[in-house]
Amino acid sequence: MGERTFAEDVKQLGYGAGGVLRGEGILAITKALLQSGVSYVGGYPGAPISHLLDVLADANEPLLKPMGIYFEQSGSEAAAAALLGASINYPMRGAVTWKSVVGTNVASDALSHVASAGVVGGGLIVIGEDYGEGASILQERTHSAALKSSVPLIDPKNSLPSFARFVEEGFGLSEACHEPVFFCIRIRACHMRGELPCRDNVRPAISMLSPLQRPSFSIERINLPPFTYAMEAQKFEQRLPAARRYIAERCLNEHHRGEEEHLGIVMQGGLWNTTLRGLHVLGLADAHGHTPVPLLVLNVLHPTVPEELIGFLRGKRHVLVVEEGMPNYIEQELKALAHDARLDVEIHGKDVLSPHGEYVPQLVIRGLMRFLTSAEPRALSASLIAERYRRLTGHQDSVRAVLPRPIAKRPPTFCTGCPERPVFSAMKILRAQEPAIGDTHVAHDIGCSTFSTQAPFNVGNSVLGYGMGLASSSAVAPNFGKRVISVMGDGGFWHNGLGNGVANAMFNKQDSVLVILDNNYAAATGQHHVPSTGTNPRGEPTGMTIPEALRGVGVRWIRTVNSYRIAEMLGTLREALTTRYEGLKVIVARGECQLERQRRERPLRRQRAAAGAEVVQPRFGVDPDVCTGDHSCIRLNGCPSLTLAESPDPLKDDPIAHVDETCVGCGVCGEVAHAAVLCPSFYEVRVVQNPSRWRRLLARFRLAVITRLATA
Amino acid sequence: MTEGRLLSILIPAVGGQGGGVLAEWLVDAGLIAGHAAHGTSIPGVAQRTGSTTYYVEIYAGDTQEPPIFSLYPVPGALDVLLAPEFLEVGRAIELGFPSPERTTIVASTHRLFSIHEKMATGRAIHPPGELEAAARAFSRSLVAFDALAVAREHGSEVNAVLLGALAASDALPVRPDAFREAIERKAIQVEANLRGFDVGLTLGRQRAEAPRPSAKRPFRAPPALAESLAVFPDALRPLVGEALSRLIDYQDEKYAVLYLERLAPFVGGDRDSTLAEIVARHLAVWMTYEDAIRVADLKTRAGRFERIRREARVKDAEIVVTDFLRPDLDELYGVLPYRLVAPFARWAERRWPRGRPTVGQHVKTTTILGFLRLWLLARLRPLRPISYRAQREHERMERWLTAVRRCAEWNTALACEVARAAQLVKGYGEVRRRMTGLFDDLIQRALQAGSLETLQGGRVTVATELTAAYRRLVLQGPEQEAKATALAADVITRLEKNEPDAALAAITGSGAGG
Repeated sequence: MGERTFAEDVKQLGYGAGGVLRGEGILAITKALLQSGVSYVGGYPGAPISHLLDVLADANEPLLKPMGIYFEQSGSEAAAAALLGASINYPMRGAVTWKSVVGTNVASDALSHVASAGVVGGGLIVIGEDYGEGASILQERTHSAALKSSVPLIDPKNSLPSFARFVEEGFGLSEACHEPVFFCIRIRACHMRGELPCRDNVRPAISMLSPLQRPSFSIERINLPPFTYAMEAQKFEQRLPAARRYIAERCLNEHHRGEEEHLGIVMQGGLWNTTLRGLHVLGLADAHGHTPVPLLVLNVLHPTVPEELIGFLRGKRHVLVVEEGMPNYIEQELKALAHDARLDVEIHGKDVLSPHGEYVPQLVIRGLMRFLTSAEPRALSASLIAERYRRLTGHQDSVRAVLPRPIAKRPPTFCTGCPERPVFSAMKILRAQEPAIGDTHVAHDIGCSTFSTQAPFNVGNSVLGYGMGLASSSAVAPNFGKRVISVMGDGGFWHNGLGNGVANAMFNKQDSVLVILDNNYAAATGQHHVPSTGTNPRGEPTGMTIPEALRGVGVRWIRTVNSYRIAEMLGTLREALTTRYEGLKVIVARGECQLERQRRERPLRRQRAAAGAEVVQPRFGVDPDVCTGDHSCIRLNGCPSLTLAESPDPLKDDPIAHVDETCVGCGVCGEVAHAAVLCPSFYEVRVVQNPSRWRRLLARFRLAVITRLATA
Repeated sequence: MTEGRLLSILIPAVGGQGGGVLAEWLVDAGLIAGHAAHGTSIPGVAQRTGSTTYYVEIYAGDTQEPPIFSLYPVPGALDVLLAPEFLEVGRAIELGFPSPERTTIVASTHRLFSIHEKMATGRAIHPPGELEAAARAFSRSLVAFDALAVAREHGSEVNAVLLGALAASDALPVRPDAFREAIERKAIQVEANLRGFDVGLTLGRQRAEAPRPSAKRPFRAPPALAESLAVFPDALRPLVGEALSRLIDYQDEKYAVLYLERLAPFVGGDRDSTLAEIVARHLAVWMTYEDAIRVADLKTRAGRFERIRREARVKDAEIVVTDFLRPDLDELYGVLPYRLVAPFARWAERRWPRGRPTVGQHVKTTTILGFLRLWLLARLRPLRPISYRAQREHERMERWLTAVRRCAEWNTALACEVARAAQLVKGYGEVRRRMTGLFDDLIQRALQAGSLETLQGGRVTVATELTAAYRRLVLQGPEQEAKATALAADVITRLEKNEPDAALAAITGSGAGG
């Protein structure tokens, strides 16, 4: 279902030749899958490729089913990769998608096997390379995974027509070399808006409408010796050479010639836009990318085509490689090739560019400036280039003079009214009030709940992998003087946590406490359905619950607590941490994702109010003259709607706490103030729209009495 | 080859502010105006209230051959910085994006505070004046006003108002009608957004800096004792007048007279009135400490219900108010007479050194019974002067005033710092106990340091610096409290060894800031 509905996008996916799709990069990729005749699509959601799954879920009934295309949101990236198993034996095209590098890590067992056995139908793996600004995961690149499994890797130039072209070429490449193919797209590229001239969608030959009738068996495709040896040999003797032929014949990489024949720049396709913009601001290219500097744009990073590379190097004195991430495989390969071919060319790369980090313009432009001032193009003198660079960056030296104080960071946090926040309020309160049990190791997991490691909670001592919270405490628990706590979201629980976490802890008789945050969805990726949501993304009921799954693997100590009840959560945590029961204790903290809930309920409330029905909307407030401005409530809560305001009191300087109008009335600030014995400043106000006559009368009577007694 | 104009627009926003829609309007308006345009964004975890950016490029030139769009802004090559929140302007400047030669900054001056600004025990809000000066210094032209207030007033959104202000700036080759059409095409809250756009357009054309109303209530004139103000210098009179009003409201005239007596030693002669002002301010706040009687009184005032009703912003709605009260044992016996409860209180404080028992209650203050519970508690006011809490508070106040007088004999700057230490006395229950504990420690350390320095024949520079640093550290938040007490201990040790320079260095290195 996801965060938004995509009626307009679904409509555009149905366009035929002549139509022009307007939207984001990821939509163009999705459209290109349909134009390529896929029989199946699946994947595991996560930024930046969630949209692909969201829009396909909405397109399932109107578009995919009528074409016979199978769609699933897979249980994990491993399950998604295993979908490609359909293409090992049968000439079916299929695509899977996930967030990389973490998703690739999860998928790699299945992926290695598919890559070893090879495919007869084209398999495309759309990986959202979550690298650089806005990334939510550890910073690694996927390049090495492609190398070790001999999976071709496409990293296209950033424009919607380019994405569509390389999706379609990706399938062709896959079928030419009998390997699945990685299609790598970065976060900003996924969200770039543009236009794509469409082609007709292609109905797959093998599909749910025209299913296979006979199994295909060939012993050579079984990943067992001696065939695995033959498969390895095939990779290097047949598959990769076939891929190189395809890349060269179809001109997937682009060699732009230019007058500055003595120098040149080799770049990853995905860095084409930034590199050309860099040349533009330094005065060596126009806005359309016309440049006298020869360029080699590698839209396919693996395998490289040695003849292409040598052809580019030949006759040049200075070459720069713009290659994001380490190791710098392309630069190393170029150097090795130049050496073997005895070419007299200086190859630069990481020596003038940053060795790590996303290649944002400031890094690329600085590198280009360094390279160009030493390579000396004829069109522009080194001093002019340096002067242009100085004009661009000179103002930055005076920033600290006008902004002596650094700008405060804004770590992501739980949304207003989030049901997960109060669980960490409870843990922080317990840590302060009863350190003997509450100040303990907390093994954290991945999901929205990871934000508890940030201010103001700083709860969570390690984060190790999706669904791995409990498993990552396995060696801490027995070596720790107190019971330790592990945290897992419902997404993580179903992804990996039930097996590697819970079953493992039961199997090894762990004595620890697991808190599962059950908010109904994989909320961090955009409210995607998980098995315990009740239905899958196609809307079919699932009938799976977390407590039943826990009981199924033998967990006996299970408590389900409404996550907004902080006192109850405190009591349950205390009980779990002190009970004589040895073994795994699981607390399921239940509360629906507030974003999703508000998205559903707010329009309904508005409708009902407009229709004249009685609507009650709770929200919270702080009495400004009661609050003394110590902000303890904020340190235990961190709700975005709980903020600061200037004290109206002319004698007090410190700002006071204030609940702004975005409050959804979840009640956590009152609960926190209560549980932590903070102050009497908080109140809840229930605003009753269209009150009934009886209520109006009662209120009038009450008001009369109160007004008579109240002081001014 | 004629080069067109390539315009680069950065929208630094806070997740959930509608920056995405703003970017889409811009792209669409660019296309409607006949240019090439593109935009991108980085939603992801940042959307959960973290900093995030949206980026748009418009190319006015030959659209037959589209330009190569960049996915990122180039620092120093930015034409427009369109900021729906003011701290984000500072962040963009810190990152080098806007440049004085090229960039038009259109920003809303309202603030969404970062958690680090909100968590401190005192004031950690980035000074708005500093942000504004930076925005002025790093722009070719600046349009900045509180677009949130404007949007609320006109039932619209910040992003629509800012779009209007940008349209007025003529930083982009796009006429206002193209923006209007983009809003219509997007088909989200069209009417409200067009309204906001037009208001923004007008404000932008006027280059109006909307006035910022002060959040502070003006000083009140006291209902009685007006003649007693005559002894105070002109500058101090409004402040003392407010204090007297407050004390009479809190207790009675007699109590206000006590205030005047306590303040008297700091006033008069040809002394600088800074110290008197600090004492006057903090003493008035402290003497009106929030005991259960005060809280009950404040919560049952007519004005309170009017305010809550106003803030609900719904016409003809009824309101039901529930107060979350959880006084602990201290606060309960605090209102009872000292002589009656002192032995019990001493026992209770030994029995529960931390985390005293509490009585939790949710009081529906808009029902008659709920209201009466608080109203009756507020009627205990005549008992207050003999209460256990009063005894303890006034003892501590006297110790503070004595310390300020003592320090004033050494040096006024030190006395001012010791007077300011009363800022630490705040909070309820456990928080207040923690804060008063720190306050007591601070006063003792200030006197200790002052005596040591005086004995050693020096000026009380170290004592003054220590007192200021201690207070600032504590106000940064609980994590810094241990640092403050450790710093004080360290400084005293160094003074005992007669190493004032080392002591000063320790204070400078403590991160207490200036």
